[in-house]
Amino acid sequence: MNARHVWTIAKKDLRGVKSERTIVLAILLQVFIAMFSSFLVVGLTSLYDPAALGEQGGGLAIGYAGADSPLAGLLEEPGGFTVYPMNLSEAVAALKERQLSAVVYVPDTPPDAEGPVKVTLYTIKNDIQGAVASAGLKDAFEAYEEELRDVRSGRLAAVPVDLAVPESEGGQTFFLFVYGLLIPLLLFLPAIISASLVIDFVTEEYGAQTLETLLSTPVTFVECFWGKVLAAWILVPLQAGAWLLLLAVNGIFIENAFAVLALVSAASLALILLGGVTALHYRERTAAQFVYSTALVAVILAALAVPGNPGHLLVLLSAGAAGPWEYMMVAASVLGAVVLALLAGRYARAMGNRARG
Amino acid sequence: MSKEVLPVTAVLLLALLLATGLTAQSGVHLHDGIYTAATDDDAAAAILAGDPRFSTTHTDLAAILKDADRYDLIVTGGQVWVARSAKGEAALAAFETTYRHYQNTIYGTADDLFAAYPLWIDTTEVRSELDFTATEAGTSAGMQRPSHSAPKPSGTVEAVPTPAADLGIDEDALRETAARVPAGTDQVDRVLGGDQQDEPELGRFKTPSQLSPPLPFDSLIYVFVFIFPLYFTSQFFMMAIANERSGRRGEVLLSTPAGPGTIIAGKALPYFLLMLAVSAAILLVTGGPLAVLLPLIPVILFFLAAALLIGMTARSFRELSFLSIFFSTVMTAYLFFPTVFANVHAVSLVSPLTLVVLLFEGSGFGAADYVYATALFYLGTAAILFLCIKNFNEERLFSQERLTAKITAFVAGAMARGHPFASLVALNILSIPLVFMVQMMYLVLLFNLPLPFSIVCLILLAALTEEVFKSVGIAALFRRAGGAPGWKTLGIAAAATGLGFLLGEKLLLFVMLSQVTGSVFGDVLFSGVGLLWMPFLLHTVGAAIVAAYLKIGGTRAYPFGVLTAGCVHALYNFVLIGGAL
Repeated sequence: MNARHVWTIAKKDLRGVKSERTIVLAILLQVFIAMFSSFLVVGLTSLYDPAALGEQGGGLAIGYAGADSPLAGLLEEPGGFTVYPMNLSEAVAALKERQLSAVVYVPDTPPDAEGPVKVTLYTIKNDIQGAVASAGLKDAFEAYEEELRDVRSGRLAAVPVDLAVPESEGGQTFFLFVYGLLIPLLLFLPAIISASLVIDFVTEEYGAQTLETLLSTPVTFVECFWGKVLAAWILVPLQAGAWLLLLAVNGIFIENAFAVLALVSAASLALILLGGVTALHYRERTAAQFVYSTALVAVILAALAVPGNPGHLLVLLSAGAAGPWEYMMVAASVLGAVVLALLAGRYARAMGNRARG
Repeated sequence: MSKEVLPVTAVLLLALLLATGLTAQSGVHLHDGIYTAATDDDAAAAILAGDPRFSTTHTDLAAILKDADRYDLIVTGGQVWVARSAKGEAALAAFETTYRHYQNTIYGTADDLFAAYPLWIDTTEVRSELDFTATEAGTSAGMQRPSHSAPKPSGTVEAVPTPAADLGIDEDALRETAARVPAGTDQVDRVLGGDQQDEPELGRFKTPSQLSPPLPFDSLIYVFVFIFPLYFTSQFFMMAIANERSGRRGEVLLSTPAGPGTIIAGKALPYFLLMLAVSAAILLVTGGPLAVLLPLIPVILFFLAAALLIGMTARSFRELSFLSIFFSTVMTAYLFFPTVFANVHAVSLVSPLTLVVLLFEGSGFGAADYVYATALFYLGTAAILFLCIKNFNEERLFSQERLTAKITAFVAGAMARGHPFASLVALNILSIPLVFMVQMMYLVLLFNLPLPFSIVCLILLAALTEEVFKSVGIAALFRRAGGAPGWKTLGIAAAATGLGFLLGEKLLLFVMLSQVTGSVFGDVLFSGVGLLWMPFLLHTVGAAIVAAYLKIGGTRAYPFGVLTAGCVHALYNFVLIGGAL
């Protein structure tokens, strides 16, 4: 195999990608997905957990009706609301005019009563403000529940082990979202796109009947195959690396960047080979793309069910939770990709012989 | 596709089924062991072991303290210690939910339910007539400043009955509900990592920790179940069209007496029926109401129209894949974003999928909602189909131009030979549904940002989008003339563009979008401020700027022309709407 020939083919296909500006679309697509996901997380956390963004739901007005209870104080303290004692009917009318964020009605059930304390909460239907208020309301209600439980604790047979848990700032969603979802998605997407790209590279030669012309030059069939694989593969670490840099610019640092890149490169090589072999087998785009994408979904689903899958490894590596076992798994992935490459090379040689014969 | 694929398809589908089963059974392992924890306490170790996200070291205190900074979270002596990092903070939040989960398993077994769960909340939702305008009232959704005295309602006060003090359910029934394992509620956590709620749930009564509003994350599932099969099928239609083009295979078809409309309808019909059948089959399996097909039909039509356009414009199969992936991602976003706000905000009705969510929830929708959610899809389909039918000829189908040049050629081809200006008016009217779809997308993306920021972004993006769409007609005029037309022609063309755009905007607004038009957002998007001649002048000036750039600088000047026009447009909006801010 001649490395120069392989590179010539790779360059030819890359030029095709460049001239059609398809890669621009691919990159736009990835930016779009990143936006899509961050919209989800920013929009939703601000909706359902305003504290996560440092924005207090505080200062919102709450109408309080019914009997006196410690809840009024709790709404002002941990909830951060301004509480107005009001007549229930008037409070609900004010709520309808959006002068209040919510109205609470408390009955005069004694704290140590046999039955439950039933609080009625009035909120506005289809309203964001109500959703914002609900986070603070929840805190206040939970504190009140804790007080009531203390009063009634004599009636409980088993009590949970008491652990003093410090107040959290709700960073869980963001951290888990970025490291557990966004990073694997962004880093594996180029691999998936490249694999479907290689199918187009290969089937195009069959479809446009340019393969014979190509083979009449000193380039062999196998070299041609590897050139196409290389062209698709080279784009992956480039894009993944760009994402790592972009994330770092945004203050999201990824640990073990080299191991992460090695893992992504290995996984993408495996996917590209899968796509390439499918394309060699079917020689026709529709069939190859169909078989490849269905197989891909099955492979991804099955992989996710097994701990230690590439996605899981990537999450652990990038979040800095990897131990020696994870590094070994990365090495094993690279080795596996190399073995796959050898197998695919043999298949390509067999196909090449058949094409010649 | 050849017959040879069929057996493989069967094998693959089986594999897919098996893989789905496997994942459903063992769960998604993506976050296992992401947090490291250490404890010297047996009870704490048992709690931590219940959450796969923690990889826990259970050893004595001295060993833990030897390399304490290895751990994100340490539990010892009834105290929880956390590393001072984003990861430590996240681990703490994860531990909180795990600890609550554990508390609930203990309380859940209590004999005295009302000692374990003493507080129950009955949520009553009140309807307010001010829906979309709510986000305008404050700088952000939660920024309403309360006064010192209690607010006084200005309207009539209806008497609200005093709620009963008891739950109104007899205790046995309650205990029975409490004993049953309740269904998990929808929370961000469920999608991101999953924790189950295991507290008793009594119909509408909730304990405090169940209070957070349910996220309609189920809509994500509807996207997957209903929309993805539609993409898949429309892909085949796209390829069928592209196949006619590759190697000029479709020439025979074009030489038959059937017109382009008939050919397209004939080619699309099987796919349309197939998509309907697939959706109906999914409905039968999931047991959903058949009315779900109603909001799906415009989506199917729009997919087919877009597939036709992509199939007719892509130069190669490679470009076809990229265009189709890009289109499907954008459409997923368009369909999915708004549904997240189903039951929360009026903006959700921008997407027909919200109607599907509403139907599955059993609340249904009215005719006005249907028109509001689907009109853009129907009109957009009509506009794209018109463009494609006009260009379904040899000259366009078998040319190998760049995408942008091709679109211009398509628009030029759709213009009537003798009446270029009337065509421009008509074209711009037709483009309005597509412009609105793009703008609706911005609205959905931006509406929940704080007010001045969201309006500024919206003004800039909306101005740019409108100028891009208007410039297409002008560019087509240049192409038709085969060079730069005279200044007089360009002047009339700009006026025709302005007129068409204005007419389109006003026509569509009268038909449907009253919900948005009432708000500041509506003013930005649909030039609602000022008299009629002002937006007309604005649209004309924008088109004229692009025309002037094209005439003087040629094609290279086009992006700058659009940018300049966009800036002028945005400036106009800033000045006019500045008063409203």
